[in-house]
This record gives sequence, C-alpha cells and structure tokens, in this order.
Amino acid sequence: MEQILQKIYNMTAFSAIAENPSFLIMYALAFVLLYLGIKKKYEPLLLIPIAFGVLIANFPGGDMGVSAVDGNGMVKLADGTMKCIWDMSLPSIAHDLGLMNFIYYMLIKTGFIPPIIFMGVGALTDFGPMLRNLKLAIFGAGAQFGIFAVLLVACNFFTMKESASLAIIGGADGPTAIFTTIKLAPHLLGPIAIAAYSYMALVPVIVPLVVRLLCTEKELKINMKEQDKLYPSKTEFKNMRVLKIIFPIATTTIVALIVPSAVPLVGMLMFGNLIKEIGSDTGRLFDAASNSIMNAATIFLGLSVGATMTVDAFLNWTTIGIVVGGFFAFGLSIAGGILLAKLFNLFSKKKVNPLIGATGLSAVPMASRVANEIALKYDPRNHVLNYCMSSNISGVIGSAVAAGILISFLG
Amino acid sequence: MDENITEALKLMLVGMATVFAVLYLIIGASNLLIAFVNRFVGEDEKPAPKAQSQGATINPAVSQAISQAVNIATGGKAKVDNIKPL
Repeated sequence: MEQILQKIYNMTAFSAIAENPSFLIMYALAFVLLYLGIKKKYEPLLLIPIAFGVLIANFPGGDMGVSAVDGNGMVKLADGTMKCIWDMSLPSIAHDLGLMNFIYYMLIKTGFIPPIIFMGVGALTDFGPMLRNLKLAIFGAGAQFGIFAVLLVACNFFTMKESASLAIIGGADGPTAIFTTIKLAPHLLGPIAIAAYSYMALVPVIVPLVVRLLCTEKELKINMKEQDKLYPSKTEFKNMRVLKIIFPIATTTIVALIVPSAVPLVGMLMFGNLIKEIGSDTGRLFDAASNSIMNAATIFLGLSVGATMTVDAFLNWTTIGIVVGGFFAFGLSIAGGILLAKLFNLFSKKKVNPLIGATGLSAVPMASRVANEIALKYDPRNHVLNYCMSSNISGVIGSAVAAGILISFLG
Repeated sequence: MDENITEALKLMLVGMATVFAVLYLIIGASNLLIAFVNRFVGEDEKPAPKAQSQGATINPAVSQAISQAVNIATGGKAKVDNIKPL
C-alpha cells in the first residue's frame, strides 16, 4: 500500500516540486503576470498567453517547457542522451521534446512569427497622424537612444551579440526584440522576450516615472493645439487616401535601400498597412492579416515565449542582468525622446510638449494613451494623443531600423 | 573589454545617425509625396454631406434600440426623453 502511495506521489508534480522548490518562484511570476494582464489590463492580449506559457512550462513532467539548448545546439532528451537540435526533424522534435518545442522551433526560432506580427501591426496602424504631423516623427529617432546607451554598458558584462539583444528591449517593441535576439543571441530569447513584453505592459508605470523625473509642470502644460493656432502648418492635404497608399511603398523602398536587414520587419509592417489603405479591393487580405493571422500568431508567440521561461533558464544571473539592463534601456529611450523634445524647444518658436518625445518609443498605441492621460492631468483641454501617435508610429520604424543596424554589424 | 566598448561606441554613433537619417529621409520623402499628390492627383472624392432639415427625425426603430440600450446599461434607472440627430 505504501509503495502504491509512493508511486502515486512520484507520478504527481508534487515530488519534483518538493525536490526543487524554485518552481514555486516561477508560479509566483506567472501569477503576477496573469494578474497584471487580467486585472490591470496591461497588454492582456500578450501578457496572458505569455504568463500562461510560463505556468504550463513549469509543471514537472508536463513536457510543455522549451528545452534549453547549449551554444552547440545540444539538447538533453528525456532519457538523458544529448542530441543536436539542428539535426532533428520537426516531427522528431515534437515526439522527443514535446508539443511546445515543436511550436517554438517551427514558428519562433525560424524567425517566422515576428514579421507576421509586424504585418498585423501594419494592418492595424493608421499613418495619418504621422503624415499630418511629420516634424514630430523625428522624435521616434531620439527615443532609440536607450538601445545604444545600454549596449555601451552591457558589453562590459555580456558578449557584443548578447548586449545588442538585451539593448534592443529599449526599442519597446516585442517582435523587434525577438527578431533581433533570434539572429544574435537565440539562447537568451526567453528572458529577453519576457523582459521586453513585461516592460511594454508596464508602460503606464514607466512613462509617468521618467516624465516626472525629467519634465517641469510648465513643459507638460504646453498645449499643442494652441501652438498649432499660433504657428499654423502650411501643408494642405488634398488627397489623403492616395498619400496613405503611396506612403508604405515609399517607406519600404527607402528603408530597404539604406538598411536592408530591417526589411523583414519594416517591409511586412508596410505591406500590412498597404493592404489596409487600398481598401475594399484587398479587404479580404486586410481582414486575414489583422484578425485571424495576427491572432493566431499572437497566441503561438505568447505561449511559446512564455514556455521558454523554465526554472533553469530564468533563475540565473544572466536573466537578472537582462531584467535590470532592459529596464534601463526602456527608461533611457523615453528619456532620449524627452531630451530631444527639450532640445527642439530651445531652437524653435513653436514649442513641443515633451510627452511627444517620450512616446518616441514603439509601444503603440499604449504609450500615446498614457502620455495623453498625463497631459490631461495638467490641462484638461490639452489632448495630445494625435501628436503623440506621430512620434509613436515613427518609433516603430526607428526601432526596426536600429535592429537592422545591430543585425548588420554583429550578425 | 576595451575593444567591445570601442565597438559599442561606434555602433552608437552609426546607429543613432542612421536612425535619424532614415527618419529624416522618410519625412523629406513624405513632404515630396504630399506636394506630388496635391499637384498631380485630384482631390479626394468626399461623399456629399447628407442634407438634414431642421426638424429631422430619427427612425423609430433606431430610437427604440437606443432607448432599450440605455435601459439595459443603466438597469432601468435612466429614461430617454429626446433624441436629436447631430
């Protein structure tokens, strides 16, 4: 009887958890992320699949965690033997390592999902606010400062490729961070993706924090509509529809000529946008890109990225370094945008609310929404959303270009 | 270590310069595009605004749907007295 009870105990996850209580830390992490996603509604479409992926990956015996692979691609199988993952076919990965490894190696490790997500983001993005406020788009460049600043510090502790993958968290763009990490330091994909998406989810906390540190009340009260009345724009738009159709084609061409390695991201972003702007003729493609394909890609990305966060992969100094470095990259990017806006105000008659600089990091549209709420707190008539969207959208292009540069130089 | 810092500094300079250059080019190209479209492409065909008389009325079915929606949303606490088209 005792033997049977012992066997039952060994069959359950309790025995392994009792042997290695670190699993409890992972459950706590999963519950915190689930709480942020469900209750606080921080990026729930991403955070909830990621958090659930973390949860199911950490039940011993469940085989839902993505197996850790060493620098030579060697992975430990259930029977204890080592095998090179690159010599394994997809069916044998599914058979030997479980369903989550199959999804991960087929969709994520190949770099397939990030451009697909970018296509969906493009299909959901309206470049109208950027075209109407073109000058403000330059703040999307200033807000990439955190990427390169953290690269400079991180290279003292990590290899250059690892540092670049960590630093790209400052771009505040999940798919870009994943795409860059797959190319440069695939072994760090789990913690980097988690850090990137967690900080994106925490935009409502981080942006106000940095803004409070760097901006005065007077600056935050700069009313953009009043500035527009004082210094009206001379640009008129006779045919916005045609403009919006040509814009993604022109942008793809410019980026492709200067930074070809950014084309998988920017090209797909602009393709998604093009099929949206053409209208009814490509309505079915737009519907697929923005709904079914985007939603399926988000589910697979979230779950499998979450599943990379196993006890072995997460609870180590490298991950802690990534979490800390990622936070600074994120904060410095926001600061870079704010400081560029302040610099702009020194030389321009037409003042810019520094919140528009703060939204130069990608995180569309949450960063703009948060900035708008901050502006309304100081002046209930000061709606800056449309202005922030300009720098926010250009930040997506900026971070993809920054990723392209890192991949070109270090890949 | 020093080599890494030198390379990171180079990357910082090249990276920031390229990001600024690309976004400036996009801004410049967009300005050219706006000028081109304004000059060579006709004005956007906007649907003619629907004429609305002063005493325009709301379709009774729409009015009933709005009343029911308000009723459900407020748990019967609010009542719709008047609906005016904007």
